[in-house]
Amino acid sequence: MRTFKLYAALVGAGLRGEAQYRGNLLVMLVAGMAYQGIGLAFVWVVVDRFGAIGGWTLGEVFFLYALRLTAHGLWVVPFSQLNQLDLVVREGEFDRYLVRPLNPLVQVLTRRVGLMQAGDLVGGLLLLAYATTIVDVDWSPGAVGFLLLAVVGGALVEVAVQLGLSGLTFRLLSTRMLRIQVDSVFGTFGNYPLKIFPSVARFLFTIVLPMAFVAYFPASVLLDRTGELAVPSWFAYGSPLVGAALFTLAYLFWSRQTSHYTSSGH
Amino acid sequence: MSRPTPKAVLEAYGAIARVNAGSALAYRADYVVGILGLLVQVFLLRMVWEAVYADRGSVDGVDLSTTIAYATLATVQYWLSNPWNFSVIPQRVREGKIAIDLSRPVSFLGQVVAGQVGTTAALAPFALVAVPFTVLVGGAQPPPSVGAGLAYVVSLGLAYVITILLSSLVGLSTFWTLEVGGFFMIYRMVSQFLAGALVPLWFMPDWLRTVAEVLPFQAATYTPLAVYLGRLAGPDLAAALIVQAGWIVLLWLVLRLVWSRALHRVVVQGG
Amino acid sequence: MTVVRAHDLVKEFRRPKRFTGAFGGLRTLLTRQYTTTRAVDGVSFDIEAGELVGYLGPNGAGKSTTIKMLTGILVPTSGQVEVAGVVPWKERERNARHIGVVFGQRSQLWWDLPLRDSFRLIGKLYDVPREQYHPNLERFTELLDMADFLDTPVRQLSLGQRMRGDLAAAMLYNPRILYLDEPTIGLDVVAKERMRAFVAELNRDEGTTVILTTHDLDDVERLCSRIVLIDHGRVLYDGEVAALKARYAPYREVMVHLAHPDEATAVEVPHAERARAEDGKVWLRFDPETVQVADVIAAVLARHQVSDLAIIEPELEGVIHQIYAQRSVISARE
Repeated sequence: MRTFKLYAALVGAGLRGEAQYRGNLLVMLVAGMAYQGIGLAFVWVVVDRFGAIGGWTLGEVFFLYALRLTAHGLWVVPFSQLNQLDLVVREGEFDRYLVRPLNPLVQVLTRRVGLMQAGDLVGGLLLLAYATTIVDVDWSPGAVGFLLLAVVGGALVEVAVQLGLSGLTFRLLSTRMLRIQVDSVFGTFGNYPLKIFPSVARFLFTIVLPMAFVAYFPASVLLDRTGELAVPSWFAYGSPLVGAALFTLAYLFWSRQTSHYTSSGH
Repeated sequence: MSRPTPKAVLEAYGAIARVNAGSALAYRADYVVGILGLLVQVFLLRMVWEAVYADRGSVDGVDLSTTIAYATLATVQYWLSNPWNFSVIPQRVREGKIAIDLSRPVSFLGQVVAGQVGTTAALAPFALVAVPFTVLVGGAQPPPSVGAGLAYVVSLGLAYVITILLSSLVGLSTFWTLEVGGFFMIYRMVSQFLAGALVPLWFMPDWLRTVAEVLPFQAATYTPLAVYLGRLAGPDLAAALIVQAGWIVLLWLVLRLVWSRALHRVVVQGG
Repeated sequence: MTVVRAHDLVKEFRRPKRFTGAFGGLRTLLTRQYTTTRAVDGVSFDIEAGELVGYLGPNGAGKSTTIKMLTGILVPTSGQVEVAGVVPWKERERNARHIGVVFGQRSQLWWDLPLRDSFRLIGKLYDVPREQYHPNLERFTELLDMADFLDTPVRQLSLGQRMRGDLAAAMLYNPRILYLDEPTIGLDVVAKERMRAFVAELNRDEGTTVILTTHDLDDVERLCSRIVLIDHGRVLYDGEVAALKARYAPYREVMVHLAHPDEATAVEVPHAERARAEDGKVWLRFDPETVQVADVIAAVLARHQVSDLAIIEPELEGVIHQIYAQRSVISARE
């Protein structure tokens, strides 16, 4: 509770600091949407021309895309500063976070507010609102509930991967490029029905880089396509739990890695 | 101040290019990871195209292998000519170092171009390593004729100039906006798509294709690739090269104009 | 009461060996060769509540690394550390409430916000109750003369103003121990003096224990009664400043400016030696235990015409130079 109150206070401070550069807000939002929108444009052109990808219609692919993007936006807004961890560690800024009575991760995350990332979330929500109306799904309370859990779970899966990788920063010092590449793989290929990839890639994207749990599995459940999965359907239903479990593990790993912090200069 | 000799100017540009190449190489570990990422990207793109083609032999007169070759080459070409730090201008303006740049006895735009060329030159060896692998995991085919191959080299050179001119133009907007992270991102994404770096123009809906064709971006990516794959030949090829050259002239004039305004602004505001 | 206890502290840094040249980055990534450096090599000391200790040493001696272990930033490779009954790296948050840290080179203030907002956030972070926060802020504002810039964004402050802000921020929650790392670096004489006066006052009135690392020995002369000198990760000296001077500089000097410059090399005084002679000036070094300063001066005045003279106390700087010089001679012989 104390942590949450301090988080809110620090975010408030970040927003007030950011407000001095107010002119950028709209540009940043649009930029964030453009970054994610280009992938959507690709999918749209391809499916428009070819009719379907792996048997999924344009509406279904849009729904999958929206689910992925919303989950992405949901984590990337509060966790945008994870991208700066290399800098924070290399420049010794992390020193300060270790001598204050608040979880260092919370302090890293509240360094600044991610305005460009807010574009991802806004774009994701708009697309999700649109996509839910064009797919053939009976939106019963159960389905809506699963959708909400799936978005949160998907966000947790993605943030778990990014958090885990960023934990290596304390030893390797430079992990930014690695994280950008992984994020780019999620961002590009998490939007397609996984079945179009060869089985090795499917296996990797389920077990090693658990991309399938972000959007593909939950979308398969909601679109009643679990029959075409290579895994048992309870796997797909359990996606939100996988997110929670992975996030817990990633956080524990990250916290342990902080003891390898060597600061800068001696 | 006497005008420097052409030789001195060339040497100055050379030095700037080397500095930029050096800083690009300082992050070599990042580039190694970058190449791996590129390979994954190329491989997965191939999977996507194979899936959408399914059993169809050809769509719009283009078969699967041509489309895959296009996607692979486009990804590599784009990666090589558009590194993340594709313009140094915003950084220089923000750090207030623009005044130093302006005081050097070589033209500022020349410095920017030299910096960009240096960065690409530093990446080139990585590209040489990366290309065979990308061909392996993606797919490619040789140009249909020696003529097409030669025309590709010409067209690629023109495309590279267009890329630099465009990014310099966006970079100059820093003089008015100061913070351009957002603008750059929008430019990057819109231009990448309209350049045909993701989807070849021939698959786009008619209206979108028309939009792309009247904008300069396609001349920076799509044109050389269409030349390479033999999609543009004979009179079409000649027309395409003339259009590329036309864009260079036009963009150069616009850049000169914007630059003189920017310079005026620096003089008025004192950087 | 002992508040800071370091016992046989060791910190080693293990870094992957860097390769240079073509594909050096890749080799660095793939090979598992490490180089180990021992930055702190068995440091022990106890600091009592209310002490004001200078922790000194040349660059790379292990000063910052020790301070980072005391503050909980670094985990020691071996040895024990205890600050106000807490092992800092094990209980970082509890430790954080006892300590104030000022890094001269790095501000903890919020760059884009007015100074006042930073104070408010620090107050929240450390759960400072209102009845403690407001009097503290008022008092520090007055002592450090901050009223004029409390509402100015930190990025617009001068270095001196920012440092005052940082110092106040570190003391807002009345920590028992204050670590100051190069607090006067880059400041002008007036700003330095203001910082020193504030630290001295805190130490005197509130009994705050202060541990100070600095390159400016004036800070130490002005503030510290005790110093701990380290080099190559080991303690060279731990004790009073006065005792250090008595041990390493058991002499005084009289500088004499002669009316006839060419006599400088001819000055002879019993029980005093010519330490230096140049430009018509001569420095006479003597042991105050065996000869009075007045006798030395009288001896000179009896034989020479003097235009000026001054008595020179040994400076800490010279003393410390001497210690390091001797040490390097000793280790060179080994």
